[in-house]
Amino acid sequence: MSQNNGDTLTPKPENAITIGISAQVLFNMDKEQQGLEDYIKYQVEHEMQPFSPGPAFSFALEAVNIQLRELYPDSKELFDVVLMTNNHPHVGLRLINTINHYKLFIERFCMTGGNSPIGYLKAYHTNLYLSSDPDKVREALEEGIAAAIVFTPEKITEVSDTQLRVAFDGDAVLFSDESERIYKAHGLEKFLEHEKEHKNKPLEHGPLKGFLEALEKLQKKFYDKGQRMDCPIRTYLVTSRGAPSSGARALNTLLSWGLEINEAHFLSGAPKGPILEKIRPHIFFDDQMSHVKGAVEIGTVACHVPYGISQGPAPK
Amino acid sequence: VGVAFPLLQALQRVNGRLLEENPSESLLFDVVLITSDSQQQQQSSRIISNTRHHGLEISRFCFSSEEDFTESLLKNNVHLFLTTDRDEAAQASQKGVFSALLNGKVASSEQLRVVFCGDAVIRTDAEPPSASQDAAQSFWAQLGEMRRRFGMLDSPLSLVLLTSRGGRESCGTALQTLRSRGVNMDEAYSLAGAPRSPILSLLRPHFLLINHLED
Repeated sequence: MSQNNGDTLTPKPENAITIGISAQVLFNMDKEQQGLEDYIKYQVEHEMQPFSPGPAFSFALEAVNIQLRELYPDSKELFDVVLMTNNHPHVGLRLINTINHYKLFIERFCMTGGNSPIGYLKAYHTNLYLSSDPDKVREALEEGIAAAIVFTPEKITEVSDTQLRVAFDGDAVLFSDESERIYKAHGLEKFLEHEKEHKNKPLEHGPLKGFLEALEKLQKKFYDKGQRMDCPIRTYLVTSRGAPSSGARALNTLLSWGLEINEAHFLSGAPKGPILEKIRPHIFFDDQMSHVKGAVEIGTVACHVPYGISQGPAPK
Repeated sequence: VGVAFPLLQALQRVNGRLLEENPSESLLFDVVLITSDSQQQQQSSRIISNTRHHGLEISRFCFSSEEDFTESLLKNNVHLFLTTDRDEAAQASQKGVFSALLNGKVASSEQLRVVFCGDAVIRTDAEPPSASQDAAQSFWAQLGEMRRRFGMLDSPLSLVLLTSRGGRESCGTALQTLRSRGVNMDEAYSLAGAPRSPILSLLRPHFLLINHLED
């Protein structure tokens, strides 16, 4: 792709769905085992060798962009992936070569040399930040940026290359953790009673609500061109809530927000692995490590959203 | 204290560290205070004693007239001329003195932070290098050499590359070009058209080296 006029090809931050991805999530990078200087020397020596690819999620974003550009050639409403890395710019060159090798359309990056990426995430109006570093993700969440810690399975289950599938847990991910607090404090029966009583009262929003909104904004662009049935983005709710009891409140909340998640799966406490195996999302977000681990076990790229009461002793 | 005060302190810290590493180090920052303002010149002794009072190490004071201040700069073999006056900077630049604007926003870090706008690093081979571009290159090369006196971590100076237009290729090429000239960057940002001011307020450079003075 020619690059003389950055304007026409690169999404402008305000209109695009900006996703900040760390280098370790984008590619399979060798862990820094040696000291910093040796590590950098090694990377420079292997500069022309591309890293092996990370989860297909990043590649799937580009696939969606290609279709969006076909339908809306002048629009800047696209996925915009920004590489956010602590790595030294010497290593950055190997990263750039790797991006070239896989023909990824990543034109923006921040090689912060060890500084926290949070300021940059805000400067770039980031809609979602994905990293394998728990501290950075927590910092981002505290600043109101949707963020999650990515766990990649040893063997990733094959995913669609024509449809980007994103799965979300409900409580403490799309929704706040208010109901989870009740469950933790008073047990299941009280929780069910409470949710039934309040089924028409929308829950407060959770950290990833904004990202779902952004996805739906792009989905609508396909629907407007008559592509509802084969929309290249599909969203899923995978929740431990049960359909007859507490599920109604979840659906009503989404309705009140004007959001139409494509598929909702109410598991009534059953493990999430089997349904994820069927869905094969490119990425799955959950606030509880037990579910994240379960997803990883069946080959799904799962992200832990360290938010809310289920994180342990010190609730924010 | 004026706009350049934190900068001078940062420069002195770098000098201090350089001398710690090597007491006979000759590659140091040498600060020349220059003014063509006749009012200021009348206050010259006050200016000099003030700088001493604040612990600023200024090696030379240069009081010249408006017409020949660029001559003064050249005579003093100035590698980089910093000013808040855009016209002064443009004038000096035209005469082949590498010039930059001092950021009005005072930077607060202990570490000397220099931001290069990478769009200025690459020039097409078709254009012959201007005197100012040569001056720029030689300044960067010296800065690069100074940076190499320190390790990766805990350096008193940090070199940051920022490319505003163009994508990863132009930033990548700029990084490689700088590396081939012995200038290793500590941080690099490719904006690909995104606005500059949010990043600059995060980077907080003491000064910013850009090319647009020549436009």
